[in-house]
Amino acid sequence: MKTLITRKNFILTAVVGSILLMAMIILNAILSSRQTVSATNAAVSEVSSFYLEAMADRRAKTITNLINNNFDHMGKAVAYINAENIKSEEELRANLGKIKSLLSLDRFALVDDDEIVHTQYTTYTGGSRHAFLADEEMEEKNVSTVSIYGSSKQLCLAAPTPDLTIAGKRYKASFVQIDVGDIVDLLAFEDEGRTYFGLYSKKGENITDTELGPYISRHNLFAALKDVIDENTLNENRDNFSNAVEGSITFTAGGTEETLVYVPVEQTDWMMVVLIRESVIQDRIRTISEKNLATNKRQIAFTVIFSALFFSVLLFMLKALSKKDLDAEKANSNNFKNMANTDSLTGVRNKHAYSEAEALLNQRIRQNDIDKLGVVVCDINGLKLANDTLGHAAGDKLIKDACSLICEYFTHGAVYRIGGDEFVVILQEKGFDTMHEVIEDINRVIEDNIKKKEVVIAIGHSELTKDDQLVHDVFERADKMMYQRKQELKQMGAPTRG
Amino acid sequence: MRNHLRIKRFLPIMLFSTFVLASCSFNTPETTSNVKEAATAHEDTAGSGSANSVSSAVDFDHELDDYKPKKDHYNFYFTYKTIHPWWDAVALGMEDAQRQFLEKGVTITYEYMAPEAASAEDQKKRLSEAKGRDFDVIGVDVADDAIISPILDEMVDSGIKIMTFSSSDASEGCKRIAYVGNTHNYEDGVDLTEALCEKLGYKGKVAILVGSVGAPCHEDRAKGAKDTIAKYPEMEIVATEYDMDSVDLAYDLTIQILKDNPGLDGIICCNMSNPVGAARAVTETGSSTVIVGMDHDQEALHYLKDGVIYCLGVQDCYSIGFDTIQTAVKIADGHKPGDLFEEKTYEKTTVIYQEDAAIMLELLYGDD
Repeated sequence: MKTLITRKNFILTAVVGSILLMAMIILNAILSSRQTVSATNAAVSEVSSFYLEAMADRRAKTITNLINNNFDHMGKAVAYINAENIKSEEELRANLGKIKSLLSLDRFALVDDDEIVHTQYTTYTGGSRHAFLADEEMEEKNVSTVSIYGSSKQLCLAAPTPDLTIAGKRYKASFVQIDVGDIVDLLAFEDEGRTYFGLYSKKGENITDTELGPYISRHNLFAALKDVIDENTLNENRDNFSNAVEGSITFTAGGTEETLVYVPVEQTDWMMVVLIRESVIQDRIRTISEKNLATNKRQIAFTVIFSALFFSVLLFMLKALSKKDLDAEKANSNNFKNMANTDSLTGVRNKHAYSEAEALLNQRIRQNDIDKLGVVVCDINGLKLANDTLGHAAGDKLIKDACSLICEYFTHGAVYRIGGDEFVVILQEKGFDTMHEVIEDINRVIEDNIKKKEVVIAIGHSELTKDDQLVHDVFERADKMMYQRKQELKQMGAPTRG
Repeated sequence: MRNHLRIKRFLPIMLFSTFVLASCSFNTPETTSNVKEAATAHEDTAGSGSANSVSSAVDFDHELDDYKPKKDHYNFYFTYKTIHPWWDAVALGMEDAQRQFLEKGVTITYEYMAPEAASAEDQKKRLSEAKGRDFDVIGVDVADDAIISPILDEMVDSGIKIMTFSSSDASEGCKRIAYVGNTHNYEDGVDLTEALCEKLGYKGKVAILVGSVGAPCHEDRAKGAKDTIAKYPEMEIVATEYDMDSVDLAYDLTIQILKDNPGLDGIICCNMSNPVGAARAVTETGSSTVIVGMDHDQEALHYLKDGVIYCLGVQDCYSIGFDTIQTAVKIADGHKPGDLFEEKTYEKTTVIYQEDAAIMLELLYGDD
């Protein structure tokens, strides 16, 4: 079954299509936003681990570089002192002072074979104070963490000095002690509240006194984690710490997911631990996503409103255009129809129009749908004479005058020119009711026209009777009467063909 | 700086504890030891108030007084009993004072020397060498007062400025100019022993690990312990040994004492080394002997935390070191005891218990 494409269907299709299009845009935007958030969340863990590992690794390397630089400077300091040919404790102290300013070795000290420590300001027996002196012979560099009474922990870097002799006395080692607090300052980064770091011993003890997030805080790492990760994971990470193997732990505490990554710091027994609170990142990303989503919603709303207005204008314009086309088509159609049904000379309906009207009236007669119908037949007297004697222009003028006279009097009837000099007037309703008066009036004028030598029309008329089957039946009677009238008018002096 | 930060954190606690201690401390210079007070003090401070007294046991927040040194450089010599962490803690206080003087434009250099093992003879030798080296002041932690005091008198007579410091003063009447350090070793011995007696219900067999022979601080504490035990008829001293400030020797002696006295109820340790040695032995043998001892050794504090050691008398080594340097400068400038400094500068001792150990470990070593 074929669907007829109407204007209504077209508009409906346009509206429904537009709504569907907008719905798809909105749905796509929402789905896209949600997928972005979901994908971002999923990537957070991976990215955080990567980010933390890089961060921990970088900081571990910073410490290693610090250690190497200090050892390098210590070597230079020892070479400098060896070359100075120092002869007294006072000279040694003065040179240790120079080294302090030259090489930035604040706590540089030398230890002689009697384990007496020589610094810029003091000389002291250091056997119990410096653990690296416990070994009888010091053969290689030593890095250790020392707990200082009443102070933070310190990183002690000691190196043997096999070739160092001062004032005839052999020296066994040089060392520096770096405050762990200074190392913390060196490693600090500006992400407080989200990312934390700390240095830990192999047993998970916090060396730096830095807070590793609000949950672990400054506590022993494993003591703090034992309630939030399973025992196997805890033991696995304990082993990693003991064996200086890097790793990571993710746990949830207080509804917040946190990830920490640890890497061993070369040359020390420390673990650099960096922790990030993933929930904080997720919250930030969620906030950004929500902002984006809100922006998308505004954009969608704007697009919907703009599109609705645009389509409304389009539809309005389309409708207006269609109406214009339709009107034009109607006008053309009417013109064509008028042209087909109109007599070009007089402007009244022609014989074709009469035939159409006759057919319609016949149908109504058959259906018994009409009771008042009168047919008036009019014939112009003397048209041939006028054509022959005065020319066709005069003949045409006579026709026009006759038509004007007919139309003037039969104002409530339909006037048709059905022949060269013959007109028919169909009268219904009011026209039918006044038919006889009108005929009497026009006949008086016609009779006067005979004397004035103006247009003369022979008029016959008839009414629809019960026996009539067709309009033509009525027409026949009227036509017959018209010929009788024509004779009467002839006798009155009206012009004739002859 | 780290010390200052730590001190600031504890400052409110310390201020509060000052009031608490003012009312309940048994270590004020004016009061001699009192058994019941010591026991009561423990009971009183065993709860939340305990942290306050512990936190103020060592005062790291020192600043030099208003005294203006006459010179811009001083050179001192200090000798102490033996190489040991206790004197390393004193050294840290001295270094802090030295740094503060340096910030004021006064350079202080010094030697801080001791033998491997406590020895009056070694100290005699060191003093003999030092007196010819033109130090501004020579400070002595007396190894044996009987032997060293006459030497100090001779040095003072020869114009050398002599002071004593840390744990052991010279004999009464010695001409040394001043003493900075523990002025109440006897009382410390009494306090520790009273705590032990109370713990044991005032009956049982105990041993005493003294420390170095002739070392006044150790001997005084041992005397305080003996006098206290003598007060209680059901208490008995079954052994008194000298470990010579050696942890290993203290361990060996304790093992032997436990072997000889299987039912030993308590051990009184009079210095910093012997509670460590005793605790190792007690732990190893599985003995339930109650240990009381002195000072702040990190290992000893862990034994205290674990309940192996019952209590420790912690001396404020840091203050001793700081005040020693400050007093030495004044002595070097020719001042005598009086308005500027006391003839004997009081330094406190605080008895701490198991519940205090973690705080003390954190305070002294940043140990979790």
